[in-house]
Amino acid sequence: MDTIANDFTINIATANGTGSQSANLILLQSLFDMGVPVSGKNLFPSNISGLPTWYIVRLSDEGYQAPGDRTHIQVLVNKATWADDLAALEPGSVVIWNMDSKMPMDREDVVSYPVPMTKLARTLSPKLAKLVTNIVYVGVLAELLGITDEALHKAVAGQFKGKASAIELNTTALELGRNYAKENFTKGDPYVVEPRAIEQKRFFMEGNEAVALGCIFGGVQLLAWYPITPSSSLAEGIIGWLPRLRTNDEGESTCAVIQAEDELAAAGMVLGAGWAGGRGMTATSGPGISLMQEFIGLAYFAEIPSVFWDVNRVGPSTGLPTRTQQSDLSMLYEGSHGDTQHIVIIPGTVEECFEFGWKAFDISERYQTPVFGLSDLDLGMNRWACEGFTYPDAPMDRGKTIREQDVFDAMENFGRYRDVDGDGIPYRTLPGSGMAPILYRGTGHNPDGVYSEKPHDYFALMKRLKDKINGARDHLPEPLLREEIEGDVGVIYYGSMENTIQEIDDILEATGLKVSQCRVRSLPLHSEVESFIRRHRMTIVLEINRDGQLWGILRRELPNDIVGNVHSVAYSDGMPPRARIYAEKILETIKEVSQ
Amino acid sequence: MSDKPARAIKLNVINEPKDSYTGGPSSLCPGCGHDQISNVIVNAAWENGIKPHRIAKMSGIGCSSKTPAYYLGQSHGFNTVHGRMPSVTTGAYAINKDLLYLGVSGDGDSASIGIGQLIHAIRRNMDMVYIVENNGVYGLTKGQYSATADVGSKKKKGKANETQPIDLCALAINLGCTFVARSFSGSKKQLTSLLKAAMSHKGFALIDVISPCVTFNNNDESMRSYQYVKDNEITLHMADYIPHFEPMAEVEVPEGHYTDITLHDGSTIRLETISANHDPGDSMAALTALHEAEVGKKHVTGLLYFDASKPSLAEDLGLVETPLLDVSDEELRPSKAMLDTINQEFLNQ
Repeated sequence: MDTIANDFTINIATANGTGSQSANLILLQSLFDMGVPVSGKNLFPSNISGLPTWYIVRLSDEGYQAPGDRTHIQVLVNKATWADDLAALEPGSVVIWNMDSKMPMDREDVVSYPVPMTKLARTLSPKLAKLVTNIVYVGVLAELLGITDEALHKAVAGQFKGKASAIELNTTALELGRNYAKENFTKGDPYVVEPRAIEQKRFFMEGNEAVALGCIFGGVQLLAWYPITPSSSLAEGIIGWLPRLRTNDEGESTCAVIQAEDELAAAGMVLGAGWAGGRGMTATSGPGISLMQEFIGLAYFAEIPSVFWDVNRVGPSTGLPTRTQQSDLSMLYEGSHGDTQHIVIIPGTVEECFEFGWKAFDISERYQTPVFGLSDLDLGMNRWACEGFTYPDAPMDRGKTIREQDVFDAMENFGRYRDVDGDGIPYRTLPGSGMAPILYRGTGHNPDGVYSEKPHDYFALMKRLKDKINGARDHLPEPLLREEIEGDVGVIYYGSMENTIQEIDDILEATGLKVSQCRVRSLPLHSEVESFIRRHRMTIVLEINRDGQLWGILRRELPNDIVGNVHSVAYSDGMPPRARIYAEKILETIKEVSQ
Repeated sequence: MSDKPARAIKLNVINEPKDSYTGGPSSLCPGCGHDQISNVIVNAAWENGIKPHRIAKMSGIGCSSKTPAYYLGQSHGFNTVHGRMPSVTTGAYAINKDLLYLGVSGDGDSASIGIGQLIHAIRRNMDMVYIVENNGVYGLTKGQYSATADVGSKKKKGKANETQPIDLCALAINLGCTFVARSFSGSKKQLTSLLKAAMSHKGFALIDVISPCVTFNNNDESMRSYQYVKDNEITLHMADYIPHFEPMAEVEVPEGHYTDITLHDGSTIRLETISANHDPGDSMAALTALHEAEVGKKHVTGLLYFDASKPSLAEDLGLVETPLLDVSDEELRPSKAMLDTINQEFLNQ
C-alpha cells in the first residue's frame, strides 16, 4: 500500500470536561515538534461538562491550516455523536474506537481499530479512567502513525510543567495505548507521519495570549473586563503576565485590573481611564460590544482614547458562543447611534495580534478616538505557529496631550475641540492639571468644549470628526498584497481567513485561475485598497459571515465607477473556514458575474 | 467714589477666594433645590481648602447631572451617560487616584438605570463622594415618577404612584457602604457639614439629598414637595466635621433644641435633633431609623452610617504608590531584553 505522509485530517470526538483537551494538545504538540506542519481546531460546546466536543488535527506539508474537506482518521469516544460521526465518514476512512462504549461499529467500508480504551485506562487508574482514556487513544495514534516517543514525552513534559505524578500517569497511559496497538493491529491504512527538518524554529501560540502580551508591551494601565467566551483568555492572559512584566519588587502593579459588573461598566471604566490620561482597554465579544454601544458613541463624540478588543463569535444574539465568525465588522465600524465612524484594526496572524495589541493604544491616543481590535474565536482560541514577537519599533505615541504648563502657555487659541493643526485632531489637557478645565460631555459642543446647539457648531464638529478619522486611513496597518502580474481577479479578505487563503488559492490555481490577494488590516480602508481594486477587472470580497459586511462598506465608500467591479463571497456556518467551500463559491460568483 | 477701604476678600486655608470654586450660571428651573446643592458644593470645597483643579466633577444624565457646569469651574468634569457615572469615575480613579472624585447624580440615574453601577461602586468601596439629588421624579423628560417616588405620591396630572420606592440609604447600608447620609437641599448647614465630612472620607460616601422638584413634584400630595418635607423631616445629629487643617468647629444642636432654617423661598424648616444618641457605627440602628421614618412617612436626615475600617478600592487594586498617570512610558513598556527572553522561552518550551 502506498503511504500518505503528512497530508490528512484526524477528528477526535469526545465529551466536554473529560480532559480530552490536554490529550489533544499533547498530540498536536508532538506532531509540531517533529517538524510536521500541523494545525488544531477545538470545536467545543458552550458547556462545562458532558456535551460533545471535537478536535480536528490537520497535517499538511503544504502548510494548510484550515480543517480540510474531510476526515481521514476518526477517533470515536463519545457515544452521543457516535452514529453521526460514523455515518459522515467516506469509505476507506480509519476509525479508532472505544470498544468499551458498547456502541455498534456497523461500517464495513472503513479501516477499523477497536481499542478497549476504558479497560486499559482502568488498569492504570480506576478513578481517573475517563481522563486516562483520552491519553490512551493518543498512544494508539502514535503507534499507528509513527509519532516518536521522544516527541510525545517532550509534549507531555510541556503540558504538565513539573507535575511529576501527572507526567508519569500520562506517559504510562501513552505506553498502554501504543503497546495495545503494537500487539493487536496490523497497519491497514496508508496514513503516516514523517518528521520534517525544522528550518525556522517556531512555537504554538493562541491569538488571545498574543494580544494580551502586546497590550502589556503597549503599556496598558487599566484592564476593565467582563467574562465572555471567546475573549476571557485575552483578559486572563494580561492578568497572567502582569506579575512578571508590570509589577515591582513590592508586588505593586502599574496596571489596574477590574472585573466589571457588566460590559457597560467595563466600557465606562475604559473611557474613564482615557479621560484621565491613561491607557484603558477591555476585551469582549459581539454581545459585549452590543452592550457598549452607548459609551462607544460617547468616546467618539467627546474624543476619549479607548481600546476595545472584540474576539468575534457567531451571532446574532447569543448565537453560537463557541464558534467562529467575522460578523462584528460593520457594528464596530459604525458603532453607536448617530453618524459615527471608528478605527478598526484586524490582525490575521499571532505575530500581528501582538503588534496590534500595543499599536491600538498609540492609534487611540493619536486620534483621541475609540480603537477596535477585531480578532475571532478561531484566531484567538486556537494554537498557531508563531515565529516570535517583534519589539515595538517606536516609543509610545501619547498623541496631542499637553502635560506641561509651559507647553500649554506657549499655545495660542487653545480649545479642547479646536482644530489647531488642520488635521482634525485637537489638543487636550488632563483632569488634575489645572490647565483649561472643561466639563466633558456627550452633548453638542463648540471648539471650547462649551455646550452648544448652534447649527454651525454641530456641523463643523461632525465634519471635523469625519476628517479626523479619514486622515487616519493611510497611517493604519496597510493592506498586505500578493499580486499576480497576469491576474485579472483580485480577492480581498481579512483577519483569520489568512490561515485558509493559501489553500483556497491553490484550489483556484488548480482550475487555471490565478488571483491576486489583498488582506485588509484596518478600517477606514487604506487608499491602497482602492488602487488594488482598480488594478483588477473584478474583485471578490471574501468573508466569514452571511451578508458580506466588508463588501457593504466598500460598496458605499468606493467611487461609483468601480463599485460594480466588487463582488461578495460571504459564507458562514460557524465552522472555521474550509477552503473548498470558499473556492467553489468564488468560482460560482465569477461565473455568474461573467454571464 | 467711596472712601471706605475695599473689603478684604475672604480667603480659605490655601488662600483661594470662594470665586475660585464657583461655576457658570444655572439653567435649571428658578428655585430648583439642585442649585442650593451646587452652592453647598462650592462652600464645602472652599471651606475644606481643596485645590479646585484637584477635584473631578462627575455626573450622569438628568437635571442633577447638568449641575457640574454650575460649580467648580476650575475643575475638569465629565457629564457621562445616563446612570453610568460610577464606572467612568472608577476608570479615571484607577489612572489618577489622587484626585477628589465628586459625583452628582439623580434618582433616575441612581435608582433606576444606573442602580447596578451604584451598587458595584459601593461594593468596591470606590473613593468618591456620590450625591444623589433626589426628587422622585424625572424632570428633564417632564415629570414621570422615578423609582424613589413614595407610594401615594401624586403628580399634578395622572394617577398616584402605587409602586414601592427604593430607599437608596437603606440599600447602601445593606451593601456595606462606608458613609451613608441623608439631607435636604434646603438644609444648607447640615448638608455642608455632611459634604465636608464626605470629602475627607476614604471610601464611598453616599449623600442622598431630598431636593424637591419645583416644577413637577411640588403639589402638596407629593411626598417630596417643599411643604411635605418641611412638615415631616426628622434629623439625626449633624455630622461633626473636623477639617484636618483647622481646630474643631462644632455644629452643635443641643438635645431637645431645634434650629430653624430659612429655605430659598422664604419658608423655614425645623431640624430637630431627635436622635443625638444615634451611633453612626451601628448599621442596625440606622436601618431601624430609616424604617421608622418610612412607617411614619417622614424623612430622617443626618449621618446614618459610617465605617472607616474597610479598605477602599485603592488598596484593592494593588497599584504602585505613584498615580498611574505619572508612571513613565519607559516603566509601562517592558524592555526589549525582556521580550527577547520571552521569545526564547517559548521557542525552548
